[in-house]
Parts: sequence; C-alpha cells; structure tokens
Amino acid sequence: MEIQLLTLLREQILAPDALLDADSDLFAAGLDSMGIMQLVLAIEDHFGIALEPTDLSREHFQSATRIAALLRSKS
Amino acid sequence: MIPATISDCFLLALETQMRRTGQGRHLAASVLVLDAPPDRATITAAATALGRRHPLLHAHIRRHFPTLLAHWHPGPCAAVPVIWHEATDDIDALTSRLLESSGIDIFRPGPNLEIHLAPAASGNACHLILLWPHALFDAVGIDLLIDELATAPGEAPARSQPSTGDSAAALPASAAWPAAKPILEEMRGFPAHPVRSLRQSSGPAGAARFKVIRFDPAATARIRDRMAATAGELLLLPYFATLAARAAHAVIRRRQPSPDPAILLSIPVQRFPDPSRRPLFHNHMTPWSLLLEGGELADPSGGSKALYRKYASFMRRKLPAAMDALMALMHRCPSWLYLKPSTHYLKGELCSLYHSHTGNFPSRARVLLGKSITAAWHVPTVSSPPGIGIFFSESGGQLHTTISWRENTLDAAELGILESTLRADLDPGPPTS
Repeated sequence: MEIQLLTLLREQILAPDALLDADSDLFAAGLDSMGIMQLVLAIEDHFGIALEPTDLSREHFQSATRIAALLRSKS
Repeated sequence: MIPATISDCFLLALETQMRRTGQGRHLAASVLVLDAPPDRATITAAATALGRRHPLLHAHIRRHFPTLLAHWHPGPCAAVPVIWHEATDDIDALTSRLLESSGIDIFRPGPNLEIHLAPAASGNACHLILLWPHALFDAVGIDLLIDELATAPGEAPARSQPSTGDSAAALPASAAWPAAKPILEEMRGFPAHPVRSLRQSSGPAGAARFKVIRFDPAATARIRDRMAATAGELLLLPYFATLAARAAHAVIRRRQPSPDPAILLSIPVQRFPDPSRRPLFHNHMTPWSLLLEGGELADPSGGSKALYRKYASFMRRKLPAAMDALMALMHRCPSWLYLKPSTHYLKGELCSLYHSHTGNFPSRARVLLGKSITAAWHVPTVSSPPGIGIFFSESGGQLHTTISWRENTLDAAELGILESTLRADLDPGPPTS
C-alpha cells in the first residue's frame, strides 16, 4: 500500500522526480491542502476507502507509512 | 514582449470593466511589520537591484491587432520606487491612502511595484507596504518577491525568470471547445439558483475600502482548534471559504430574505502544484466556481462538509482543466466583451464574493533588510460585482482577516453583520469556565 501511495503522490500530486520514501515528510515535500484533496480522491478511486474531513490530520498525513496505517484502520 | 497568461487576460478584462465603471485601478497592498526601520541605503540598493533584474516591474500590458493577443511590454531596467512616510500608528489609514493615490497603471509604462515605509509613531517598529497590480502578480508571486528583497542585491534566485505564458493558451479552438464543455454545462446550471452578491444595482460602486481584523496568538490557536474539530486540521481552504460564504450570505439574506440566496464562491487555485516551480510574475490561478445553496450554509460544520464534497466533485469531473480550456478560448476575446456572457447568465452577477487563504505569509522570509518580520497581511482590493472579498493569511501564529469592499456596496450596519458573523464562527472567545 505504501508503494502505491508513493506512486500516486509522484504521478498525480507532487513533482514526478520528488525523492520520496515511505517515511519522507510529505509536508516538507510540498503537500498542501489542495494536494491533500487530490490525494483523498485518489485514495477513494484506488483503494475504495472514503475519508472524512476529520480523518485529515497532520499526524495521519505526515508520511506514506502513516497514511497507510490510517487506511488499514478504516478498511 | 511577453505573452500574458490566460489568467492575466481574465484580470485584464476585470480591470477594464472596473475602469469603465469608475472603480479605478485593481491594486493590492501587502503590509509587513518589521521590528525596526531598515537602513535607508540598504533598501534603496535592494529596490534598485530588483528593478534592474526584472524589466516586467516597469512593464505595461496591451492587446495587439489583429490577433487581439495580450502581451506585457517590459519597461526599462529602473529602480523600484522607495517612498518614506512620516511616523504613524494608523497603518490601515496609510494603506488606504496609498491604494487611492498610487501611480501604478498597467496600461502605461511605469513602475508596477511601489515600496512604502512608515516608522511606527510609538515604539521601534516600521511598516513596509508593497503596492502591486493584481494583473501582474498573484499572492505567490508577491511571496517570491519578498524572498528576492530579502536576498542580498546581485544574488538573483534561480526561479526568478518570468513565465512565458502558458500552454493552455496554445490549444487550438477545435481542441479547446470540447475540453471547455464540462465547465460551460456547469455554468449553464447556475442561473437556476438565486445567486446574489453584495453589488448594489442602484448607483456606481465607489472607492476601495477594507478592514483588517487581527487575531492574537491565543485567539489564532483557538481558531485552529475549532477548525480541526469541525473540518479537520488540514483542509484550510474549505473551512475558511465556508466561513467567508456564511458571512456574505448573512448580509445578502438580510437584503433579500426570500428566496434564500445561493452563494457562488470564486476561489483562486494555483495551477503549479510544485511550490518550488511557481513563477514570480503573472497570474497562474484557475478560478473554481463553487455553488452553495443557502440551506447548506446553516452552520460551519455542515457548510464545510458541503464545500468539501463540491471541491471533490469539481476535481473529479475535471472541471479545473475545463475552466483552463475555457479561459484559453476567451484569452483573445476583447476585454470589454470577456465578462459579458457570465454577467448575462447570472443577471449582472459574476460571483457572490472573492475569497482566498494564502496560508503563512510570508511563507519563507523571517528577516527582511536585516530586520525581523513580526507580522504581515495582504489587502487585496475587489471589483463590483461582487463588491466584496474576504481574505485570510497567517504570520507568526497570528491570523489576519481582510474584509475588502467597494464604497456603496456595504453600509455600516451590513459591515457589522458581516464582521460579527465571521468573528462568531472563527472564535466565539475563550472558554468561560
């Protein structure tokens, strides 16, 4: 799941050449509120998991590892 | 000559309409509070270096015949004007006077940036006010410009090159029409809703007016907590856009209780997702037109969720790309004609209000000309219609809210309703127990 998330981030949200691993700080890499919105939609499309606005915390979206943990808790 | 972007062309049309209706120039101010006045020679050198580096700072814009394409004509490599003022503690009054008297004119050669400095009458602080035209910069550009001012003269940052227009404008009409169709269909649905703004149909709109509401760090922390509990801590834009829409709705509804007015929000969204690649000059925003029914604005939580769903729907239906295609189609349209289809469909309206949240401002610079930046905010001016804009930014843990309007669009009682609605939603105050 982490690898799929990183692919989504590189291909659709952040720069394609962004140097990211599963624990990279996504906010430092340029993830802003519009990027989060895009990511939420991409997650819904790819994993079929709908997130509520209140799921969207800094803690949950800090890295691909943490997003994956959130998604696993909701699936 | 440098081609105008498709967003520049929208702003060119807006400014043309403002001038034709006596609203004057479409300018903005960005105010920075420094902990002490900068050295006069240092700021003069910085302003000279900036002007020499960027001929666009003295450019003017015009359309060319017979292509009707708009281009910026770079001016001489001259210093950006630096003007010192007498000491004052009423920075809002000074900002207002400067916006009214500025010599910036995008239709004529001359400076497109003015740097004003006013030491505080009490204490050591100094206010630095940048005046700029909306047609040449967006808020990201001004943030980058502050980075350049903060850089030693002669050290041109790598990303200071001007944009050379945008690829959307190069779309042939045969490709742009089908691409624009989804947003045209969306817009055709708007007249079925009672979309209203604060524009007054009787009498012309007057001078630009504004009010800056400053929240201290404790109040700002409460506002953030409230946002986190209501809409999540990361979706800044939908939450603050909802509060802005609720405030405007409260005033419009007072004027017209029935039918319950719908709010058409116009939100500028950056077209460059990677912040490190955003250009200094031109506008690179796609306006997202999101419609909220009056009933959806009953409370901040419900409004935020409704707006969140509409954001998602706007993205999912690929309407941002469709809006870009529409703007690409329109970019050759004469400025006097550009806005007429929208205002015709919406019975004189363009949208209900302008809104933005520019996040942390300045986003990077903490020191400017050797002095610490202790606070900062933007003062955008607005056109009528819609006659009002509500803008947010944060600096040093303090939220700033700027309410901008045009004289004759909002009376004192309505401004009171607008402000009290905003304040009640943002921060009802510290817990009493």
